[in-house]
Amino acid sequence: MAWEEVARSLTDLDKNREKPEALGDILVLDVSYGSFAGLFTTSLLSEMGAFVVRIEPPEGDIARKMAPYGLKVGDSSIAYLVEGRNKYHITLNIEHSKGREIFEELVAKVDVVVETFPTGKLDALDLGWEKLKGINPRLVLCSIKTYGEKGYLADEKQTPDTLDYDTVDQARSGFAWTVGIPEDYDEFPEHTRVPTKMGNWMAHYAGGAMAALAVMGALLFREVSGEGQHIDISPAEALMALNNYALHYYHLTGKVIGRVANFEPAAYAYNYFQAKDGMVFIAGYADPNWKALCDIIGRPDLVEKYPSLKDRTNPKNFIPMTQEIEKFTKQHTREEIQKIWQNYKGPGVTVAGEVLKPKETLEFDHWYERKALIKVKDKHYGELLVQGLPAKMSGTPPRLKWLCRPVGADNEFIYRQMLGYDQTYLERLRKEGVI
Amino acid sequence: MVDLKLFEITKKQEALKGIRVLSVTRIIYGPWAATLLGLLGAEVIHVEFPGSGDLLIRGVSPGGSFPRGLSPGMMCANANKYFLAVDLKHPKGKKILEELVAVSDVLMENFKPGTFDQWGIGYRQLSQINPGLVYVSMQGFGNWGSLSNRPSYDAYAQGITGLAEITGFPEAIPLKSQAWIGDFLSGTVAAYLTLVALYYRRKTGKGQFIDLSQAEVLIRAMDWTWIYMGITGKNRERTGNRDVAVVPSLIAKAKDGFVAIGAFPESEYLALCDAMKDEEMKSYVALEERYKHARKIYERIESWVAEKSVEEIEKLAREYGFAASRVMSSKDIYEDSHYNSRKAVWKFVDPLWDDLAYPNPLANLDKTPGRVKWSMRPVGFDNEHVLARILGYSEEEIEELYREEVIGKWDEKFPATAPPPGWDGKKGLFY
Repeated sequence: MAWEEVARSLTDLDKNREKPEALGDILVLDVSYGSFAGLFTTSLLSEMGAFVVRIEPPEGDIARKMAPYGLKVGDSSIAYLVEGRNKYHITLNIEHSKGREIFEELVAKVDVVVETFPTGKLDALDLGWEKLKGINPRLVLCSIKTYGEKGYLADEKQTPDTLDYDTVDQARSGFAWTVGIPEDYDEFPEHTRVPTKMGNWMAHYAGGAMAALAVMGALLFREVSGEGQHIDISPAEALMALNNYALHYYHLTGKVIGRVANFEPAAYAYNYFQAKDGMVFIAGYADPNWKALCDIIGRPDLVEKYPSLKDRTNPKNFIPMTQEIEKFTKQHTREEIQKIWQNYKGPGVTVAGEVLKPKETLEFDHWYERKALIKVKDKHYGELLVQGLPAKMSGTPPRLKWLCRPVGADNEFIYRQMLGYDQTYLERLRKEGVI
Repeated sequence: MVDLKLFEITKKQEALKGIRVLSVTRIIYGPWAATLLGLLGAEVIHVEFPGSGDLLIRGVSPGGSFPRGLSPGMMCANANKYFLAVDLKHPKGKKILEELVAVSDVLMENFKPGTFDQWGIGYRQLSQINPGLVYVSMQGFGNWGSLSNRPSYDAYAQGITGLAEITGFPEAIPLKSQAWIGDFLSGTVAAYLTLVALYYRRKTGKGQFIDLSQAEVLIRAMDWTWIYMGITGKNRERTGNRDVAVVPSLIAKAKDGFVAIGAFPESEYLALCDAMKDEEMKSYVALEERYKHARKIYERIESWVAEKSVEEIEKLAREYGFAASRVMSSKDIYEDSHYNSRKAVWKFVDPLWDDLAYPNPLANLDKTPGRVKWSMRPVGFDNEHVLARILGYSEEEIEELYREEVIGKWDEKFPATAPPPGWDGKKGLFY
């Protein structure tokens, strides 16, 4: 059988439901607040089968209000809906003494707690790590916040009591410093030639992925040692680690890597070019591959003019080289270029691919075939298109069971199931403002 | 001076001690996934071909210069690994790989879909040798599906998913991140999934096959893009440095640099208005008002910031209670007291290359902190360590493998495949 068929049947998405879940025995409390880093962490865990109880204050997580252009469905911003997946949504006021007691009862029963409060806040509520590990020595407490829980600013009590903003994290990661159009590219308006944040909440996604990794490391360690631990992750530091060699290079050379628009400081061609109908990515950077690129566009003179890696990574040459190559690319559409490159059978490896608007991306079947994008019919929020499950796994594939639930929708079920509270007691807690 | 925090960390235990990872990976995506496991204590063997090794990344450096003989491209995703160089197309090379698989927990690869299967060392074959093996295959578009024959490049993934199109200013061009985020973020997710699979294996003894597409990871990370377009039918447009969901949250230009500001809850928003001494802004405190007047709010904040220094803004943020931070360069980060005290900036002495600095996002796990122990190594630098210590080959057998060119070392002709200039033949070797 051809490999593609083997791989497809190994990870057959239609069989996902028949297969076991890897984290089926893990209980998680997600008490994150206003943080998509926290939400993404528990989304990753819940997709792999963890039982995730999402704790919001009685008025709901402020993340439910983070709505692009104000767009909501029901009680939730559309952004929140994406990361509510597979979680049980309950409310609990941990500012209330009774709420804190209930939180402690829950902590005694779970494996993981994820929190994103400002540095020191859990301690101030007398729910800090020392306390929680006393309640449950096997607990993994995962704190995710811009400044972390420890370190110079925390010791100096200089960390702000604010939400953890993705923009601030991107700024502190060094990432924003290296994204954007350089100051001297004056064909672009001045206000666009600045350090630029990624369009998505990249620091929060990086922080969430790093936190989920750390949680799994801690759970594996617990298997061996029987001990839980406190994990302290900063989305800014997570994104910093994903910023290529910027920091390593500064130490070695004293040079700061700055912005280069869509060029690549260490290789050319490895950038975007103007095509007839938008932009295309073209790569061909090692010598034989550069030669292949020039061959395709019928410009052997460029090989002579820019023969070595050194010539091609000289930033002064970026624009002249690009202008020459664009003489070709501007004559063709993105699709034509992609095909021309794909049909090249000569020596060297060079590739081309389209740069698309998200709306154009949606047109590929690939994403739906592989459930990277899914149309879901949610009981509470209706029919929606959302990102699905990038991981295909033969043994324990991830699942999307439901998209989201309204604030407090699972109070009855969870409080009964986990703590044995009955209807009357819940009613009392509600009146007292605890849930 | 003794760095107490570093000392304290290195005394602690490692979460993945005893886990062996075979990383037959290239460029960044695969190598980074394996590095993360190495930071958490896994024993990672990085496999290259003898001679030039992974030249597509070893040869990557700004301006084509290689400080101290190090490759910036290679070093950033290859800490804590043993470097083995073996010709996998040679029957004896294949045998070495199979022997390693028999005693490993994880195999990671990011060659073109089907390459390993064709070589006879794919999941079909290796899972026979080791049914507990977690086999992680990392590609641009996955091992199957209508785009799976497309090449895997970070910048392509950023382009085709629309991530570049939503980044940057509407009046300029779509922007990719300079960092190879498609590789790095996907590598992080791949490392997470690997641990999930290892957790399951602990309970059941069963390994599995994992297929992770970097384009799909970027799609996953594009927050509200897809749900927004599904509901409105409109494209998601670029909005520069202004967040349109968290209003206000932005990066703005100050007199002497750039600063990020966030003030979403009412209390923080009002604190910002107070700091700005702007009464009119206060009338937009309700969220509906903020979305309606977002443009005006952003303009007012931007013109206020333009008159101040970065430090003034940071000071006002602390005083009044909203979030603000300078846009930091690698120099700012390198020198920052907070990052240094947390060892998020990890300065250490490498056994081969001397003093180096790395980011360490996993330094603050209190029982099992992640640590960077050593950097990239020359092609085939640890052949003897791997073959003799792990597989028990004799000196004569190893000699013969060299003679038959099944294994090999670096090639001085290629940049950054070799030890530092003037290497004494011993420094940095573990064997």
